[in-house]
Amino acid sequence: MTISTESMDGEVTRVILDGRLDIQGSAAIDLKMNVLAGNSKFMLLDLTNVSFLGSMGLRSIVLPAQTVKRRGGKMALLNPSPMVEEVLKASNIDEIIPIYHDLDAAVAALR
Amino acid sequence: MESLRRNYDPRARTPGAEPEMLMDEPRDRLLLDSRLSELSNVIPWAEALSDRYGLAEETRYAMNLCLEEALANVVLHGYKNQPGYPIVIESYLSTGSLFFAVEDKAPPFVPVDPGERTPRPLVLDAMEPGGNGIRLIHRFAGSVSYERLPDGNRLTMGFPISVAKKVSA
Repeated sequence: MTISTESMDGEVTRVILDGRLDIQGSAAIDLKMNVLAGNSKFMLLDLTNVSFLGSMGLRSIVLPAQTVKRRGGKMALLNPSPMVEEVLKASNIDEIIPIYHDLDAAVAALR
Repeated sequence: MESLRRNYDPRARTPGAEPEMLMDEPRDRLLLDSRLSELSNVIPWAEALSDRYGLAEETRYAMNLCLEEALANVVLHGYKNQPGYPIVIESYLSTGSLFFAVEDKAPPFVPVDPGERTPRPLVLDAMEPGGNGIRLIHRFAGSVSYERLPDGNRLTMGFPISVAKKVSA
């Protein structure tokens, strides 16, 4: 699992994940995700290249989202695969962290 | 957007599957230690079984997900994250489904679907970051059963497959 970031207009930080967000993948990114959440107003989590999401990976999404919200910001999820999206929906994450499949729409919703 | 929950039905068989054609076969066993790092042994084992039976991508995903959740549950909750305890995963084909029986020697734990007991909080601040594992197993496995053993637990998860796609024995 790799993680990279891109600063966008409007204080949006795009966080791009690549790989399996399983037990090992979430352990690999948790520290960086927490640091990013503590320094971002609007966080767009790009899941385009996440091939697998399990419950440990859900923790790696929910905890930073809570941190961002406590600081007055917002998080959105971008472009999960159908099965990854199904995991998000089965856990009701989609009802509290919005999912978008269009970059412009996601950025507009965050700002 | 239409809910994707309707798209993946873990209890649905692959079109064209003839369950009565599937014969019971010898069982595969994987012996693990009670460490989360053992997942690295489970993934290639499950992938090899997926290749053997030509499983669809959705079924592979569901199988991998449920095995990860079951392993994490036993290690973190059953054995309290202490290494040195056994976990045995046995795989077998029966009545048109590929089954995985996960056995441990941990204290009793009945994996009741949380969805049947309490609704999830729909407020981000109130959401517990964990607690989704059992829910995902019940959602993504075609069948889930639990047996209390004399000295442990057995969780059995089934995934419908098609004999027509089987590529090798």
